[in-house]
Amino acid sequence: MMRVQPSSTWWTLFLSLVILLGCLVIPGVTVKHESFKKCDQSGFCKRNRAYADHASAQSSSWSSPYALEQSSIHFKDGLLQGTILKAISATETVRLPLVVSFLESGVARVVVDEEKRMKGDIELRHDSQARKERYNDAQNWVLVGGLELSKSATLNPEQEEGVTKILYGPDNTYQAVIRHSPFNVFFQRDGQTHVQLNNKGYLNMEHWRAKVEVPEGAEAPPTTEDEGTWWEETFGGNTDTKPRGPESVGLDITFPGYSHVFGIPEHADSMSLRETRGGSGNHEEPYRMYNSDVFEYELNSPMTLYGSIPLMQAHRKNSTVGVFWLNAAETWVDIVKTTASANPLSLGMGAKTDTQSHWFSESGQIDLFVFLGPTPQDISKKYGELTGYTQLPQHFAIGYHQCRWNYVTDEDVKEVDRNFDMYQIPYDVIWLDIDYTDDVKYFTWDPLQFPNPIGMEQQLDESERKLVVIIDPHIKNQDGYPIVEEMKSKNLATRNKNGEIFEGHCWPGASHWVDCFNPAAIKWWIGLFKYDRFKGTLPNVFIWNDMNEPSVFNGPEMTMPKDNLHWGNWEHRDIHNIHGITLVNATYDALMERKKGVVRRPFILTRSYYAGAQRTSAMWTGDNQATWEHLAISLPMVLNNGISGFPFAGADVGGFFHNPTTELLTRWYQAGIWYPFFRAHAHIDTRRREPFLIPEPHRSIIAQSLRLRYQLLPVWYTAFHEASVNGTPIVRPQFYVHPTDEAGFAIDDQLYLGASGLLTKPVVAEGVNTVDIYLADDQKYYDYFDYTVYQGAGKQHTVPAPIDKVPLLMQGGHIIPRKDRPRRSSGLMKWDPYTLIVVVDSNGEAEGTLYVDDGETYDYQRGGYIHRRFHFHDATLSSEDIGTKGPKTAEYLKAMSAVRVEKVVIIDPPTQWREKTSVTVVEEGAKSASTATVEYHDQASGKAPYVVVKNPGVSIGKTWRMEF
Amino acid sequence: MIMPQGSLFFASLVACSTLVAGASDGPARPRGVGPEFAKFYKDLTTFSCISHPAIEIPFSAVNDDYCDCPDGSDEPGTSACAHLSRHSALTPADRPGYSDMELAAALPGFYCKNKGHRPSYVPFQRVNDGICDYELCCDGSDEWARVGGTKCEDRCKEIGKAWRKKEEKTQKSMTAALKKKKALLVEADRKETEIRDAIKALEAEIQGQEIKVKNMETDLADIEKQEASKVVKGKKGGKVNVLAGLAKTRVEELRNALAETRKERDEARSRVKELEEILSKFKVEYNPNFNDEGVKRAVRSWEDYAARETSEDLENSARDRDLDEISKPDDDQSGINWEHWENEGEDGCEVDTVYKLAAYLPPSLVRFIEDKALWLKGFLENNGVLPKTDRSPDTESKVVTAARDAVKAEEKRLGELQNQLKDHQSDLETDYGPGSVLRPLKGVCTTRDSGEYTYEHCFLDQTKQNSKKGGSSVRMGKFVRIGSVTKDELNNAGEIVPVEKMTLEYANGQACWQGPSRSTTVVLECGEENEILKINEDEKCVYSMKVTTPAVCADGQEGTAPPRNKDEL
Repeated sequence: MMRVQPSSTWWTLFLSLVILLGCLVIPGVTVKHESFKKCDQSGFCKRNRAYADHASAQSSSWSSPYALEQSSIHFKDGLLQGTILKAISATETVRLPLVVSFLESGVARVVVDEEKRMKGDIELRHDSQARKERYNDAQNWVLVGGLELSKSATLNPEQEEGVTKILYGPDNTYQAVIRHSPFNVFFQRDGQTHVQLNNKGYLNMEHWRAKVEVPEGAEAPPTTEDEGTWWEETFGGNTDTKPRGPESVGLDITFPGYSHVFGIPEHADSMSLRETRGGSGNHEEPYRMYNSDVFEYELNSPMTLYGSIPLMQAHRKNSTVGVFWLNAAETWVDIVKTTASANPLSLGMGAKTDTQSHWFSESGQIDLFVFLGPTPQDISKKYGELTGYTQLPQHFAIGYHQCRWNYVTDEDVKEVDRNFDMYQIPYDVIWLDIDYTDDVKYFTWDPLQFPNPIGMEQQLDESERKLVVIIDPHIKNQDGYPIVEEMKSKNLATRNKNGEIFEGHCWPGASHWVDCFNPAAIKWWIGLFKYDRFKGTLPNVFIWNDMNEPSVFNGPEMTMPKDNLHWGNWEHRDIHNIHGITLVNATYDALMERKKGVVRRPFILTRSYYAGAQRTSAMWTGDNQATWEHLAISLPMVLNNGISGFPFAGADVGGFFHNPTTELLTRWYQAGIWYPFFRAHAHIDTRRREPFLIPEPHRSIIAQSLRLRYQLLPVWYTAFHEASVNGTPIVRPQFYVHPTDEAGFAIDDQLYLGASGLLTKPVVAEGVNTVDIYLADDQKYYDYFDYTVYQGAGKQHTVPAPIDKVPLLMQGGHIIPRKDRPRRSSGLMKWDPYTLIVVVDSNGEAEGTLYVDDGETYDYQRGGYIHRRFHFHDATLSSEDIGTKGPKTAEYLKAMSAVRVEKVVIIDPPTQWREKTSVTVVEEGAKSASTATVEYHDQASGKAPYVVVKNPGVSIGKTWRMEF
Repeated sequence: MIMPQGSLFFASLVACSTLVAGASDGPARPRGVGPEFAKFYKDLTTFSCISHPAIEIPFSAVNDDYCDCPDGSDEPGTSACAHLSRHSALTPADRPGYSDMELAAALPGFYCKNKGHRPSYVPFQRVNDGICDYELCCDGSDEWARVGGTKCEDRCKEIGKAWRKKEEKTQKSMTAALKKKKALLVEADRKETEIRDAIKALEAEIQGQEIKVKNMETDLADIEKQEASKVVKGKKGGKVNVLAGLAKTRVEELRNALAETRKERDEARSRVKELEEILSKFKVEYNPNFNDEGVKRAVRSWEDYAARETSEDLENSARDRDLDEISKPDDDQSGINWEHWENEGEDGCEVDTVYKLAAYLPPSLVRFIEDKALWLKGFLENNGVLPKTDRSPDTESKVVTAARDAVKAEEKRLGELQNQLKDHQSDLETDYGPGSVLRPLKGVCTTRDSGEYTYEHCFLDQTKQNSKKGGSSVRMGKFVRIGSVTKDELNNAGEIVPVEKMTLEYANGQACWQGPSRSTTVVLECGEENEILKINEDEKCVYSMKVTTPAVCADGQEGTAPPRNKDEL
């Protein structure tokens, strides 16, 4: 036989083909849409949208089939009760109990449930063990107060037929006008309607009904409704058995006269929400809230992300109102804005825009809170009364956090720590992602990579630095791992639809999920964090709860099957959006109890969240990318979270995926210092990018921005304090600070820091040398770094922003407390003196506040703090106590007595001060007044002169004044 | 240059002790002032800022915890001027009146006397921050203000003692290291001398060999001439016709086999393509954020597979056209015109048959045939189509053959000698560091455990990573060259100074998943032993190792030792 030898050329040919193919493969950088549902793939979304379309199509002839039964109405002590009847045929109705609570705070709450389900008078399919009621327990996870009923709310004596009117709110200036048939509610303030419920007739409560089983071969009875998505839904290979059938709730909420709505985070979108029914610049899909681990999420999208806060506020000149939709199930919101160009009823009023929102959730009750403002601050305050205010964090938590997936050994961590010191760059916290564990078994350490965690933590503690380690809710299912064995034997895990322990895949491979709805699971979870249990942790170790949406790699939409069962037999569908905070709550309790008698404020970072998460945690915007677009979107995302009651927010500085250019990284640090939660993080496949590794001059530029953050920590901490008592955002968008300036309502790329008058517009584009900052008011604004003056309301001002400059202005009228001495960490700045920057306004006045406490304990709740108001007027700068004394006050003031003001800078002082050389200083308790040196300095034109008071010697905790 | 770390250390120690001794005689210096700056603080009424003597302040403003001087020199003992650094973005009021002046801090830090130990500077940002920085300031004087109740006792006695003990050890080790280095240099010298000697010997041998070859070639030519007349031509006997017949059948068989194989290849190729499409789609669509090891491994293998081979410049279509051409049945337009061959005369049978063949091929095939002439020739020969081109013994006399073989053998020997010489010469030209000090270390290996791996470094050879959890070892790079790198280090005054260090560069290691091939930079430090101190993965698949060796210890002789190979290059 002839032997044909294979030619090597064929081989090469084939290989070159392979190489060619290899080159064509482009790394995926966009979200996998097929992994997440669009509205028409989500049964109830499709149904509710169709219902709305049906109602709209019939226009004026449409009559909502919901009517409040006149005879059922009962009003007493701020509580209106009744029954809404839903007509389902000519003869049949479904009874839907209605409760409207008028709260002392001026907030109204509307709850609608379904009688048959409440009574358990229904049958579940598939022998399901699930509860029969509509989920009614979200409030116990979310609400913490503000529910006192109004004593003054009363029926309006001027009643009319078919309408119930309730007067409530401050001086009974609010009124709820409840029309019985069709049922709708108008909420009015000072006689004007601001919020309308079911005005469009989209109210929809899918009542329980038995499935009509069609015998095989027989013809299905004719139906008017499409039952295609009622009984079963399949997505991504997973089938939801829906044992309770269709049970969604939907409602339209209109804000007449409002053209801007904000809120409902988390979306990678502009702060001012867009319309969602198509059209140029609008979305096609509704805004979705179904907490999800969205890989490589896309920008300018209504797609769901990791967390949800169903709080929406509508804003117009001089008025802000809001609604809070308390429902933990999958929720979508459609937004449509209509402009009546020639409304005959609004003679000469000009075009009026109404914003209609349409909300629908897959299950649960309608539970809606209506806020009538009238200011953004009122919304923050009232919403905070209900869901709680931001936890006052430990002081270190507002410093700089250095994270990476992963610091690979304990020595690695220690070296990063040493390098920060060598280059004198401050940081407070270093983080460990999953790889510190032994094989992703939480509460363990990799014995080879982290042989000595305690030694590592001790080194960090030497400069008062902290460590944060990740603990996720998925527990590796491996024999011999005591945590999973305990969880299984105590039956503390989430169960599948058959009641068996649920198994899915996550980082560790096959895993079970702790069910923190279960009080026994919480108790167990708390025990796991005790120092003798979680070996290798010291008190300077804090926790990162990630993947708590929950992220399940092999689950539908990367999460749990909706028919999974939680404690109390609630289906996962009912509680999905609060799943994340149940874990965080348990972790919070655990950190409070790590050691008996030693209570420190916990610090937890969470990825998934819901309303109320602000009480226990900080959030970040998840897995972003190292692109300019992701840098840009971080600002509206952080701002939106701030006005939605969860201001302790930030984005991964530098971008999580991929390598940023040096310029992008530098700009990201300059922007990141304005995130309330300021952390750099990077994916395991990226190059190392700790600030000290960046070549000059960028290393120094980044160090400068870090030091700027640290210099302003007194302002940050004061803003956090304000958030913790009033719910105000820590960084504030334009509309929040200037609620009457319409041109600024949609601006979401510049921000004010607290109430300090500091205004910044981070650079978020490549190769930029200036930014245009919009000024709403006519005050003078001064460049932070050279006192250049900008003035002129309602227009953009070009501010230089070369790579080494953070565009930052100071609004006239503020006093900014700073700490100018650079230290290794914020903890080491505790005893440093203050510098006060006085930026006078057009009347020659200025004002500012400062809040200080030990930054660690709860002593502040017993008076252990300093709260000062600085005031400059009539050539006198004074410090006045605005705190409330408590048992710990004296002790704290004594500890702080040596902390003084080392310098006062007055920007743009009266020119007659040019000759001034001294100032008289009067301090409480001092025998006599003293003097301090004053120097007046002129600057080149365009830049303001300034006065420096040298070492006035006053104590920060004392009352004093300086007379110029 | 390579910073002699040990000696720098030592030198500064000596310097500092002198200054301290001197200082103890003079007047008390303000807090935090080092002896070398004492002269600026002598006038007790007025202080002139050190870098800007025109700026004068009352002496009472020195160390009053308020920063007056734009260079910070009025606050040697506090942290009041700590912000005067290019790491702070300054505002006009930070240096009132002087904000346009170039920023330069005059003092290196807070001077700790550290009596009982060696004095040193603590960065100003650490003064009175509530932390006892014993590492730099064993006397605790940096926390003189006792902020928040901080008390730092003087620990210089014990720290100094421990340090001296350690220092003694270090010095001992340094002495030993220098001894070893000397030995290395001697060894390097010896090896080099050996090579030089070998070169000399080789050169002589080559010269002799060249003469020998030349003589034998002359002899061969003579023998050939003599024998030429004696040669009897071999039988002819219609060989070409027979050959043509055989060849025709054979070529036909080959052509069919080629077609068959191409078909099989195409099928295989389309299957591979299909598989690759599946895999590349899989790679795009899988979620790398998931930690499914199976999936990750599969993607990694696919990446390796796709990245492993180097591209050969091949035009697929051209190749296929060529193959198409070959596959066509032979006629007078394409392929071989057999008729012509079958009627060919007997002439030229000694001519290289392939080249002869080419003359009858259509032009379209000529280029291909020429390109592949050798290959085809070998192919045909191996398959018995063509006779081996070696001159068959029956056409040449034994005498000639023997003579030719002898020439060949001697030529071969000459080639070997020349190669040896070249190897030795290039070895001499290779950079083995100053004084060729690394020459004796070539191939010397050390290992170190770090986390889940054991790392191996073989000087001037390669670096490797061996998993402790099992699995194969991974080459992190093959030696490429000696280089240098600048590392920031803190000097005795606490300032960052760039220090140049010798490196060994290793590249082209095993390729990484979604990354380049691994490479390692070995940074050499002075040490008594050859040891790996530390391994870092600086970025994906780019490693650095800190390795100690006596070879880079500074002995102060580098300058005087005659540069060896550099000037010869």
